[in-house]
Amino acid sequence: MSGQPSTSAQPVLKTEDLVLYFRTTKGVVQAVDHVDFELDEGRAVVVIGESGCGKTSFAKAVLRLLPRNVHTYTGRVYLDGQDIMALDDEDFRLHIRWAKMSLVPQAAMNALNPVLRVSDQVAEPLLIHEKDVSREEALERAREMFRFVGVPESFLSRYPFELSGGMRQRVAIAMALITRPRLIILDEPTSALDVLTQANIMNVLKKIKWETGTSYMLITHDVATSSELADDVAVMYAGQMVENADAESFFKEPLHPYARMLMAAVPKLRGDEDLEFIPGQPPSLLDPPTGCRFADRCPFRFDKCDQDPPMFLVDGRKVKCWLFEKDAQGVYGTQPAVATGD
Amino acid sequence: MAEQVGGPAPQGEQRGTGARGAPSTWKRLLRYTLTRLVALFITVVIGVYLTILIANMGGYVDEIRRSQIREQIAVKFQNDPAFRALPPEERQKRIDAEVAVEEKRLGLDKPFLVRSFNYLKHALTLDLGRSENMTSDSGSRQVRLIILERLPATLVLFGTSQIVLFAIALYIALYLSRHYGSWLDRFFVALSPLSSAPGWFYGIFLILIFAAWLKWLPFGGMVSVPPPESPVRYALDVAYHMILPIMALTLSSIFISVYGWRTFFLIFSSEDYVEMARAKGVHPRAIERRYILRPTLPTIITSFALGVIGVWMGAPIFETIFNWPGLGRVLFHAVQLFDTPVIVGSNVIFAYLLALTVFLLDIIYAIVDPRVTVGGGRQS
Repeated sequence: MSGQPSTSAQPVLKTEDLVLYFRTTKGVVQAVDHVDFELDEGRAVVVIGESGCGKTSFAKAVLRLLPRNVHTYTGRVYLDGQDIMALDDEDFRLHIRWAKMSLVPQAAMNALNPVLRVSDQVAEPLLIHEKDVSREEALERAREMFRFVGVPESFLSRYPFELSGGMRQRVAIAMALITRPRLIILDEPTSALDVLTQANIMNVLKKIKWETGTSYMLITHDVATSSELADDVAVMYAGQMVENADAESFFKEPLHPYARMLMAAVPKLRGDEDLEFIPGQPPSLLDPPTGCRFADRCPFRFDKCDQDPPMFLVDGRKVKCWLFEKDAQGVYGTQPAVATGD
Repeated sequence: MAEQVGGPAPQGEQRGTGARGAPSTWKRLLRYTLTRLVALFITVVIGVYLTILIANMGGYVDEIRRSQIREQIAVKFQNDPAFRALPPEERQKRIDAEVAVEEKRLGLDKPFLVRSFNYLKHALTLDLGRSENMTSDSGSRQVRLIILERLPATLVLFGTSQIVLFAIALYIALYLSRHYGSWLDRFFVALSPLSSAPGWFYGIFLILIFAAWLKWLPFGGMVSVPPPESPVRYALDVAYHMILPIMALTLSSIFISVYGWRTFFLIFSSEDYVEMARAKGVHPRAIERRYILRPTLPTIITSFALGVIGVWMGAPIFETIFNWPGLGRVLFHAVQLFDTPVIVGSNVIFAYLLALTVFLLDIIYAIVDPRVTVGGGRQS
């Protein structure tokens, strides 16, 4: 399941040293900690990791959807080469939100305003972002989108409470597509649905990918379902990106010890090996360890793990682990280079 | 938009119910309205009948009136020299005959249960009869006139004050939800216990301060004496007299309303669809209007309706404090004078006003919230 290899020079999405910390009563939570990441045009990346590892916060940092209790929000986010962190809120709202980046939220159940008709909600972004679109044209486009994602047109004039969970999720996808954005971020789009509906939605997503060539960032902890959609895989652990690779080689052989153990915990259709689990707990993001954050749970731990590893480039793959220092062709990103202190 | 309803049978995964197309907004509203009307009418009937039973002390008032009649007639005959010359049996017979006539005239010869239903019928059709002691401002003893002449004053005062209160409280609540945790926010939260006292309580203090001490505003009443000639001056004069009562009513309910509604806004603004609207790039003002205010409005209207009903209940004392020539004061007087027809009549009107309030708010509720489908019966 590989997409067209990217030919363009610049990636659709690129983050440099992205940081998002939250202030809580217990202290500062380092939800997204110096993440360097890139996604090429027309590809779909699956961001996986345990609950609470910062996947959703990463998406929010990219979308600038910040809660009240932000402590630190720094770094660079490039969209088609444009530094969108430099934009002020109004420009960001007018030119980035939904115009270039849209979101399919975690719980589509609650993502629709209960007192507005779904057609109006789906058409709304067009009216905001495309100045010369009339209301009728916008509703017509909404109708097309409904057809495209497989929602009957008679549902256009309904209210969200009259739709089933799967239908609402489709409506949310239609809403994300209507402005033909460059990048769609899907935050666990299927996690609240039953297996059949999940399969339905995944098929819709695949169809969109083939027909529109939009780039995806799919956040999930459901490795099995998402693997069929993925071109790239990004693994997050304790607020950091620990591995970023193309899907084919990642699913064949993950590099980072955490990614290996994560994949060993995924049930497979054939093969009778026992499922493994990862002992221990992820570290608290309130006061994470200074070295490698996975070190305490890692079976390959050695002396160097007390220091924070950089992202090593290994055959075009990026992995944040000292084990690959020798094989590495270089170091990726803006990680503090002090770590190589030997 | 409603023409979309009942299109081709949708495929796959939709719910079984409602698949034939949701009822259109107008049909839904109509059905809802009729259901509410019937329910409210039954409520009014029960309320009025209970009032009749209570005001007549379950029929015991009839006994009191019978002995009153007998006494009046006996006294009347006693003062008649020709009557005093008659033998005692003859005297008794004459008195009994006179009492029977009088009782028949007042309908006291029929059992109370029958008459209570007659009262009910008369009350509901606003055939409120004649008062016993009170007269209307224009000198009539028709209970209907006594009440109807006072009704506009009450409606003007309470209607204005509730609209003012709703607008101000809504605006402040929205503002505070935007500035959650600010000193103004904490100020309103801290003062919310003030709303445990009724409006007339604040009225007394406001009269003391603004009328007795500062002499800026009148003590009470609705217009100056003599009333101004020109209609414009008259309206301004009424508005001038309404400042203190409206202040009192506002003071007694604004803090709790603002506190409650601001909390509703805060709860609703943490909904996922608000964040979605932000992600969609909807203008912050539009988010506030379409994604926070609209979904919260049904909840706020419910809370407002409860408040309005509470204010109606305080009207008799409130109007008496401010010497406001309204329905509440009629009721207050009637209770003092034990004028049963007026008490019952006022209660009937209050019951109707209450039902009307609830009805209007219900309709608004159904308009702002599409999920309300009473009598639809097809929700699973």
